Amino acid sequence: MRRVAIGTVGLLALACAAVVLTAGCGSSGSGTAASPSAGSGRVVNITLWHGDTDYAAKADNVLVAQWNKANPDIHVTALYNGSNDYALQKTLTAIAGGKPPDITYLYGSWAANIVKSPKVVILNDMIAKDSSFNWNDFWPAERLAATVNGKIMGVPALVDNLAIVYNKKLFDRAGLSYPTAQWTWDDFRAAAKKLTIPAQKQFGWGYPADASEDTVWHWEAMLWDYNGDILTPDNKQAAFNSAQGDQALTMLGDMATVDHSIYIDTTNTKIQQTFNNGHIGMMVTGPWDLPSFPNVKFGVQVMPANHQTISGPDNWVILNNGAARVNASWTFIKWFTAAKQQMYYDLQTGALPTRQSQQQQPDFQTYLSKYPGTDLFVKNMGNAVKSRPTIPQYSKISTFLGQAIVSVMLGKSDAKTALDQAAQQTNALLAVPGS
Amino acid sequence: MTLSLAPDSRLRRALGSEHLAGWAFALPAVALIVIFGIVPIVWSAVMSFQANDLVSAPHWVGVANYRALLHDPAFAASVRHTLLYTVIFVPLSVAGAMLVAWALNRKLHGVRFYRLAVFVPVVTSTVATGIIFLWLLDPVFGLVNFFLSKLGIPAQGFLSNPNQALYCIVAMTIWGWLGFDVIIYLAALQGVPHELIEAAEIDGAGKWSSFRSVVLPFLRPATLFLVVWSTISALQLFDEIYVTTRGGPLGSTTVVVFYLYQQAFQFFNGGYAAAIAYVLFLAILVITIIQLKVGGRRIYSNT
Repeated sequence: MRRVAIGTVGLLALACAAVVLTAGCGSSGSGTAASPSAGSGRVVNITLWHGDTDYAAKADNVLVAQWNKANPDIHVTALYNGSNDYALQKTLTAIAGGKPPDITYLYGSWAANIVKSPKVVILNDMIAKDSSFNWNDFWPAERLAATVNGKIMGVPALVDNLAIVYNKKLFDRAGLSYPTAQWTWDDFRAAAKKLTIPAQKQFGWGYPADASEDTVWHWEAMLWDYNGDILTPDNKQAAFNSAQGDQALTMLGDMATVDHSIYIDTTNTKIQQTFNNGHIGMMVTGPWDLPSFPNVKFGVQVMPANHQTISGPDNWVILNNGAARVNASWTFIKWFTAAKQQMYYDLQTGALPTRQSQQQQPDFQTYLSKYPGTDLFVKNMGNAVKSRPTIPQYSKISTFLGQAIVSVMLGKSDAKTALDQAAQQTNALLAVPGS
Repeated sequence: MTLSLAPDSRLRRALGSEHLAGWAFALPAVALIVIFGIVPIVWSAVMSFQANDLVSAPHWVGVANYRALLHDPAFAASVRHTLLYTVIFVPLSVAGAMLVAWALNRKLHGVRFYRLAVFVPVVTSTVATGIIFLWLLDPVFGLVNFFLSKLGIPAQGFLSNPNQALYCIVAMTIWGWLGFDVIIYLAALQGVPHELIEAAEIDGAGKWSSFRSVVLPFLRPATLFLVVWSTISALQLFDEIYVTTRGGPLGSTTVVVFYLYQQAFQFFNGGYAAAIAYVLFLAILVITIIQLKVGGRRIYSNT
């Protein structure tokens, strides 16, 4: 789940949005004018909603224009959705209004919610029939996140993962050697402690503690790294209140309340800026954050111990507007998410490759050298082997866990009590039949 | 329907009348109110009796949503937070505004600048003021803790401390909304006849007693309006919470409307959220009626 940085690029983004919108309006205007007389041409018009701005929107438009030129029988109109944060609300409204887009960008965390809509096209058959598509070329975490109860509800659109991003200067000043792949969590904790200098308002680690999913997924990566799990394999019971969960949360709590080596941002608005100002030694974050650190000479390293990380893949979801348009959408999205087109997009935006085979694309090395630090995040995709449960109750479970984690970080509760309480709430929720 | 030309004489008469012209002028506004006001109000009333996840087909559950609200500890907590906030916010902001308006209602050098300064927060976007307060009140890097440390007071958690966060929101919103109240009071103060104050002063009334006995009664209508208005706004508090604490830390600033938002757009309990909205609506209605009944009796009328 990429968080869009608002700020310096904001104006540019707005300008781009305006361009995209007007461009979209222009072409759709002429397109719809022709389309009611379906017999005259045989052009199928489809609409794609995305939340890209800036370079990303430009890359989308270049690709779509390329497609429209080469495929006169399928005309694609790409429209900016205003912001991916509201994409689900807008998509649902459009479905209710009877005029949904043919393809829409949706966060992976919404997969289990949107799949309940009969408008969502389930892709299993199309993927099975189409050997050229090569579903297994997508990273395992992407495939898991797009699958709800065995139903594939979308094509991976964007992927990321978490790794340690550290400030080299602060490490040098503290006389510490940089993080290595051999680090244990104890090494991580010791380094954070050494990086903490209260007089200079300097902290070892910055942690988002607003109890949101951002708080939770950082800890879930730790939980998996400690060999724990979120739920039991059948998704019927909490599994995080295990010895491993206890260890992972105690580690976090001790760093916060005993070592005081964590900058705890309960509003989750200030960590990036604080890291960029040189007051935080280490962050656990994803590739989307790297452009926010122009003032820091940073390095990137995989997570300690087992290197397990978490990934937040998003999806292109196809909505059913009749067989002709579904087929056209599938044909287009296959092309759009193929390695060559995806590589072009990533080269323009710095996004991670969604397909493993992109590493054989001619532009891949150019891409790595253009975006320093990205090589580790690409390698780190292999460490994202688990996925958050794709069940509709997850958003609620996430709030239980969020409260548990923050209460331990603020010293209001110990790990075991907090996790047991969250587990009790989770089990009660999962015991409710239906949904 | 009214626009269809039927051979009915009554209708033809209506078409020619001013009535129709009036409605034609009002039509755009009426249409907007119906589409964006009345339809959602009715629709959410219907939703509050449904299990509605906003995605799949809803089904009827009767009053189950309302019954569940009675036993929801998180909702009860959000009601407590909202009431606590309202009880502190309304008196402080209204009384504070009265004092500021009184201070500004004189021929000071640069009074226009002070009035502007008081009103600027009202027209500044909540997002901007929210971000400024986040940094001012930051436990580590914030300016407020910096000044407190100069006075020898230990660093406070402010928005990161579950016991302080709601009070910080009170302070923030008073600062943000005070200017509006001040403008209303300034207008009311202009309506106080100067000769009455003069007469009181000639009769030997001091500054305080002339304020209490002459000025204050004239401010009662404005005060009643501001109390009602501020109470409604306070019970519907959302924006400031959304841009700063997001209901945290540990739920300590989860007010009713923020809880409603979470239910609707985080957990997709559309029906439950609609029920919360209706409970809040009824509560506001009852409180407002009480305020108008109690306050209205004491209004001094000079007509």
